[in-house]
Amino acid sequence: MNVLVFIKQVADTEARIIISSDQKSLEIENKYTVNFFDEFAVEEAIRIKEALKDVQITVCTFAPARATEALRTAIAMGADRAVRIDSTNFATDDPLIVARALASYAKIEGFDLILCGRQAMDDESANVGAMVAEFLNIPHVSQISRLHMLDAGRAEVENEIEGGKKVSEVTLPALFTAQKGLNEPRVPLITGVMKAMKTEITVLDPASSGTPFGPIDDGSSRVSVLSYELPAQRPSVRIIEGETPEEKVKGLVRVLKEEAKVL
Amino acid sequence: MSKDVLIFVECKDAVPRKASLELLSAGRQIAEKFSSVLFAVVMGSDMKNAAGIVSGYTDKTIVVDDGSLAEYGWDLMSSVLEGILTKYSPAIVLGTSSMTGKDLFPRLAARFQAAMVSDAVGVDLEGDGLKIKKPLYGGKVISWVAPGPEAMLIATFRPNSFAVNEPGRNGEIIEEKMNVSKDPGITVVSSTKAGSKKVDLQEADFIICGGRGMKAAENFSLLEDIADLMGGRVGASRTVVDSKWRDYDDQIGKSGKTVSPKLYIGCGVSGALHHIMGMDTSKVIVAINKDPNAPIFQYADYGIVDDAFAVLPALKEELKKVREDS
Ligand SMILES: Cc1cc2nc3c(=O)[nH]c(=O)nc-3n(C[C@H](O)[C@H](O)[C@H](O)COP(=O)(O)OP(=O)(O)OC[C@H]3O[C@@H](n4cnc5c(N)ncnc54)[C@H](O)[C@@H]3O)c2cc1C
Ligand SMILES: Nc1ncnc2c1ncn2[C@@H]1O[C@H](COP(=O)(O)O)[C@@H](O)[C@H]1O
Repeated sequence: MNVLVFIKQVADTEARIIISSDQKSLEIENKYTVNFFDEFAVEEAIRIKEALKDVQITVCTFAPARATEALRTAIAMGADRAVRIDSTNFATDDPLIVARALASYAKIEGFDLILCGRQAMDDESANVGAMVAEFLNIPHVSQISRLHMLDAGRAEVENEIEGGKKVSEVTLPALFTAQKGLNEPRVPLITGVMKAMKTEITVLDPASSGTPFGPIDDGSSRVSVLSYELPAQRPSVRIIEGETPEEKVKGLVRVLKEEAKVL
Repeated sequence: MSKDVLIFVECKDAVPRKASLELLSAGRQIAEKFSSVLFAVVMGSDMKNAAGIVSGYTDKTIVVDDGSLAEYGWDLMSSVLEGILTKYSPAIVLGTSSMTGKDLFPRLAARFQAAMVSDAVGVDLEGDGLKIKKPLYGGKVISWVAPGPEAMLIATFRPNSFAVNEPGRNGEIIEEKMNVSKDPGITVVSSTKAGSKKVDLQEADFIICGGRGMKAAENFSLLEDIADLMGGRVGASRTVVDSKWRDYDDQIGKSGKTVSPKLYIGCGVSGALHHIMGMDTSKVIVAINKDPNAPIFQYADYGIVDDAFAVLPALKEELKKVREDS
């Protein structure tokens, strides 16, 4: 069985982000990690392999060269192969372009199961998974918290729905996006890290490998970022003083009512 | 080209969600700017009443009342929406970035090759086109995004991004029969609804969030009482969820939910960046913490430095008075 995992390298929470003076671009401190939710996807693929044995795990990203590190992390965890579709010169702000690039690779290679994160921590868009599934014309289930492989090319998954949980049986090939709680991602062992250092990472040029789902060049981008800005700063906190907790609470409720007008 | 606007209305128990009423209100302003028609689509089972409410905001409300839409499925809903978008060809489609919106719209965007902007928090209607405000990096940066001129735009917004206006219209209601197609690859084995009558965490106007400072699971009843009184919800920090005091459903923050209520009160929450990322778009933030140096005070509008267990009973009493007066 071939399992494909999409991973994205994203800026760490702690990374400093500076907006350029013309507000047109961002400068991100060189602190990157594997997207939080994508680690659950990688871990789940490894668990499937451990259970079913005859499984090959490919991790794939559409990214510039710096993301090689993220691919190596996935290999160190236990993935078999890593592919980087080079995104240099592509407008990755448009999720359709990212999804086309990834779906095209999946289409050309052929996979039984695709896993990805529920959402990337940088763009927070939660688009790419379902878009890829749509291009490939396969079912998807969002935000899975449990996955169980059944026989005959089917899987049972549990996911969160509005106000509850749902269990579905899905025919493969299918795409699932990972929610926190799916598993506990492992920390790579030193032997894994050694192996990852030596693993050859395939780099693909999307222009030459073909994109059956439509153009991905800059001109085909449907969205453009006009500018970046900092969020509005809140004025500094007003500590409500008082002799007793009751007095403080009275003061708080008064300002919430009269000043902030939220009560 | 017309710039008709279409709102995808989500309902809970056959009543439009507040987040959808917000979109109807914002959609009206967009339709006015472009002198275009404001459509809404309401779909599900037994939707007459909901359509009636929605028609108070729109020019045309499309209702697809079909028993097979009683339970949500992206396959069912996207087949219906595909029919509607093809027939009415709106230029701008607005939805909520709820679990449903996040599941459904990317598929449609890929089907229609639409400009997709998700999890947005506002729009700017000054100038020629439509600019969409979207936070990035957990709210550390705000971006302004514009759709390309020819593409259909699909944008989803966080609940509490817009004010709800008075309805005041009496739009036409159009009953549509649409083809509902199911993906044969998915069979629902079971679905459990918590059956809670409470508002969704992401849609709540009022959230009182407990952190590790609440000390134990049973102490959250103090917060539950206040949330019930205010018609709001209890949230939790990750530490609380990891300690199994609350369900993951309640978690606010980078790896949990993003909320922007009118009023957020954090009790015994330190204000780690991972938590702040999930709540800093709240309109007003109050922190209750016994440590005056807790980072949450850097993000709060108002603060009380004291023991939460001394503050909470008094807070409940005062809020009760406010409720009784109003
Ligand atoms: C990848 C990643 C993702 C994460 N995602 C999230 C997320 O989504 N959401 C999230 O919340 N966290 C998240 N975290 C964890 C986050 O970094 C913090 O560890 C967590 O938010 C701390 O929770 P807390 O404020 O409840 O606990 P603490 O940091 O332990 O704070 C407890 C606070 O309670 C106060 N206190 C104690 N007793 C009292 C009392 N009697 N009265 C009043 N105050 C009292 C203390 O002064 C202290 O400020 C994430 C971390 C990582 C690494
Ligand atoms: N450039 C990318 N390369 C590989 N996978 C990606 C990329 N962008 C997004 N993904 C995957 O899609 C998921 C959702 O991302 P997003 O739609 O950007 O929030 C992520 O968790 C990744 O698994």
